[in-house]
Amino acid sequence: MVEKKGFPMPLEIEYPKELQGWEEMYPPTYMFSKERQEWEEKHFWFHDKIHAPEAMYPLDLIFQEAWQISLSQYTTRVFCIPPAQGIAQRMVGCYMYITPVASPPPEIIGEKAALFGKRVFYIFDHYDELWGIWLKKFRALGEEMESIKVPKEFPKFEPDDTVLPEPKGYYTSFEVIEAWDRLVNLMIKGWQYHFQYLNLAYLAYLMFSDICRKLFPGLSESVIGKLVAGAYVQMFRPEEELCRLARLAAAVPEVAKILKSDISPDKKFESLRKTAEGNDWLVEYEKSKDPWFYVSCGSGWFHYEGSWTTKLEIPFGYLKSYVERVERGEKIERDLPAIDKARAELAEEYKKLIKTDEDRKAFDDTYKAVRTIYKYAEDHLFWVEHWFHTIWFDKVREFGRLFVKSGILKDVNDIYLFNRFEVPNLIEDMATTWALGEGVPSGAKYWQAKAEKRKKILEAAKKWNPIPALGTPPEEIAEPFTIMLWGITTDRVKEWMKGAAIAPADVTELKGFASSAGVVEGKVRVVKLLEEITKVEQGDILVCPTTNPAWAPIFTKIKASITDIGGLTSHAAIVCREYGVPSVTGTGIATSVLKTGDTVKVDGNTGIVKILKRA
Amino acid sequence: MPYTLWFDRAGKEALTLVGGKNASLGELIRAGIPVPPGFSVTTDAYLEFIIGSLKDRIEKILSHIDLQDMTSLEEASGVIRKVMAQTPFSQKMEEEIASNYEALAKVFDTPDLPVAVRSSATAEDLPGASFAGQQDTFLWIQGIEDVLEKIRHCMSSLFTPRAISYRVKMGFPHEKVLISVGVQKIVDARAAGVMFTLNPLNGDPSKVVIEGNWGLGETVVAGLCNPDKFVVDKVTMVVDKEISLKGVECIFDGRSREVVHADIPPDRREIQCIEDQEILELARYARKIEDYYGCPQDIEWAIDKQKPFPFNIFMVQSRPETVWSQKRKEPVLGKKSVYELLMEKALSSVKIET
Repeated sequence: MVEKKGFPMPLEIEYPKELQGWEEMYPPTYMFSKERQEWEEKHFWFHDKIHAPEAMYPLDLIFQEAWQISLSQYTTRVFCIPPAQGIAQRMVGCYMYITPVASPPPEIIGEKAALFGKRVFYIFDHYDELWGIWLKKFRALGEEMESIKVPKEFPKFEPDDTVLPEPKGYYTSFEVIEAWDRLVNLMIKGWQYHFQYLNLAYLAYLMFSDICRKLFPGLSESVIGKLVAGAYVQMFRPEEELCRLARLAAAVPEVAKILKSDISPDKKFESLRKTAEGNDWLVEYEKSKDPWFYVSCGSGWFHYEGSWTTKLEIPFGYLKSYVERVERGEKIERDLPAIDKARAELAEEYKKLIKTDEDRKAFDDTYKAVRTIYKYAEDHLFWVEHWFHTIWFDKVREFGRLFVKSGILKDVNDIYLFNRFEVPNLIEDMATTWALGEGVPSGAKYWQAKAEKRKKILEAAKKWNPIPALGTPPEEIAEPFTIMLWGITTDRVKEWMKGAAIAPADVTELKGFASSAGVVEGKVRVVKLLEEITKVEQGDILVCPTTNPAWAPIFTKIKASITDIGGLTSHAAIVCREYGVPSVTGTGIATSVLKTGDTVKVDGNTGIVKILKRA
Repeated sequence: MPYTLWFDRAGKEALTLVGGKNASLGELIRAGIPVPPGFSVTTDAYLEFIIGSLKDRIEKILSHIDLQDMTSLEEASGVIRKVMAQTPFSQKMEEEIASNYEALAKVFDTPDLPVAVRSSATAEDLPGASFAGQQDTFLWIQGIEDVLEKIRHCMSSLFTPRAISYRVKMGFPHEKVLISVGVQKIVDARAAGVMFTLNPLNGDPSKVVIEGNWGLGETVVAGLCNPDKFVVDKVTMVVDKEISLKGVECIFDGRSREVVHADIPPDRREIQCIEDQEILELARYARKIEDYYGCPQDIEWAIDKQKPFPFNIFMVQSRPETVWSQKRKEPVLGKKSVYELLMEKALSSVKIET
């Protein structure tokens, strides 16, 4: 039992001995340190379960590095949200912890306020046209990344046409070095674009939420989420495309038969190619594939998740069940106009309850503003975390293959065991060894031993349960993402304190956001690693660190969802509301407290989960 | 000059004749709300009673009182109320009331139909005048003799010491402040209580707040128990429940033939006193009543023991909510543009208390 109140200080943490050496996997600035101890101990560090629920592979950290800079700079240096500062990151035994940086001095707040007014209001007024420009720019960036050529191997001799009639001047060694640098730079640039409007979208949401609470003090969180969240969201397009393809297939018996069969996706392609009808369908499939099936099977943040283009059994599994449902006469599509109409009616009903014309106008105006810009929070997600990341992972895999081919690493995915600053070392070794000629040893043994050691550390880290938070809880938070995305509130911090002090088996109740209304009782299925999603059965209550839209079809199976982290517009919240499935998000400790088979009562109206019976 | 008027014949236009409470029942019926039937004994009947039979005696008694002297005031009040209790109504008036009561009893095929007898003041909108007959509700009154007695008692509530001294101080002639009495079929309630068409704790206009207990509504109205509380969102109809430990209920005791407070048996104490479908039905009525009046309401309701849902739900009272309705005339947000609101939000932060 922990006796003292609050959380341990970062340097007090004791790591299991199996984790020894974890520090070398990440850049040195990611360590808590004596040099920065005073500043670090003043801050409140919590485990970022949204972006890093699992032990972090060194190369996958690149997205985190990129957002630490980008998210923070838009708040501090670009749009200048007055009292807010950036979000800093640290690694703790392979898990990432983050903190909202304390507010700047008053004079800086004043300077920022002037810039904020000048820059932000303009964006609100011009968002629709700005989104068009953003999308064009971002797609060009992705296409540029896709066009990077990674040599398949180091040639024994450079071919003639690179030497005669005029030597090219640079060769495979440089091409590999340059390709990696470009790839990394484009990823970082993509993440600069990622936050172009996101901070403002979150701020608008918080503003609207405040206004709703002033007009209707008891308005539930899930209703506010429902009022704002859009139906025509690009993140739902992959699923819509599957529905379209399923309908096309169901109309052609031969095609439907193949898709319904239990053979592998590759065999299905083979069979489809044999008939004219099959080929017609494949033409349609290809149309949907780029960009819409560049969707991660998980959140898009981890190389091992795979996408619908690499794990074909996922989309083909969905297709099979959709075709069957179409044949049974069921409707498989979300009824978008109906969802849109229901939301408009909901807003109208609440508006009628407002007593004065002035308040009605303020409600109308802010609602319109948030509905316009909040689309960004929903639409950017597909393009960045899914489409762009899928291209990245495809390219990184090409480097992985090159390392294997050159004998530097044993497995394609071992590249992920080295961070983005280390990969150039491997490339340099590979290029140097090639350049030196025949019979020259590379550092392969050194790299491979490192890879083996790191695999073991990561395995051990997966079994370790890091505590939810460290350091000193803040007195106030102004940083929009901390409030909305990570849902850090008084209740949350207290809940974590409880979790830190009480053994998981003694907890009887969890509290989180009331994200989707309804009350149900049932058995829990804890899904900590994404692979386990296939174990979810009809009527289970899904318990997970956080969910994401590529899992959409799973929501027709579950009775309720509970997440560790996530606010009212987290993916789980949106999808649960649409499917009418109760949801409590942002409990902080659900996956450490609940075990598969426990019976719980989920109250999506109050945000409370009661543990009724332990398995 | 009618002595009586059926509830459904007298709405707000008849306020001076039937008083506020009875007029509001008439309005509810017009709005299509289920209200237990009954009739008003009008202010004309009251006037005839105190002027026709008692004026001289009352004036004589009052001429002696000293407003500073509580004892003399109490004595005078006691004498007047005793006189009023003992003086019969005119024969014509008594016959009319009796015939209405019989007609009501016949509708339910129940001789000596149990009724509630309540005062209904005409002056409740006067500032500070809400004293008039506030506590005067008699439940489960059976038989014409008892009904007449309780009507007289309600009428005499205008002569409590407070009421007398108030009128004298304000210079209102006694015969200008009038009272009506309602005689209403009682609901043999399984559960009853009150509801507000906004949340009285924070003024939230998007909520209906229902409070209820087992038995007649008196325990909730008078604050004698911790009621169950249901907060219903008017738009989504999502219900937030707080089930209380309910100790005492108000019921009709067949043996003593009166309404008594009884301990709630342990097996019902922590049970939700109204069903989910009843909660929703009540909330729908709350909205309908608020829409009809165009302002927030404070409503009393009861659920009949015998009748099947939804025919078991009755409203027995509705009056305007005053606290928040006054505040709500002002805009909550002030006249601010989206930019100003956004700037306000951008400058704000969320407090964390640990």
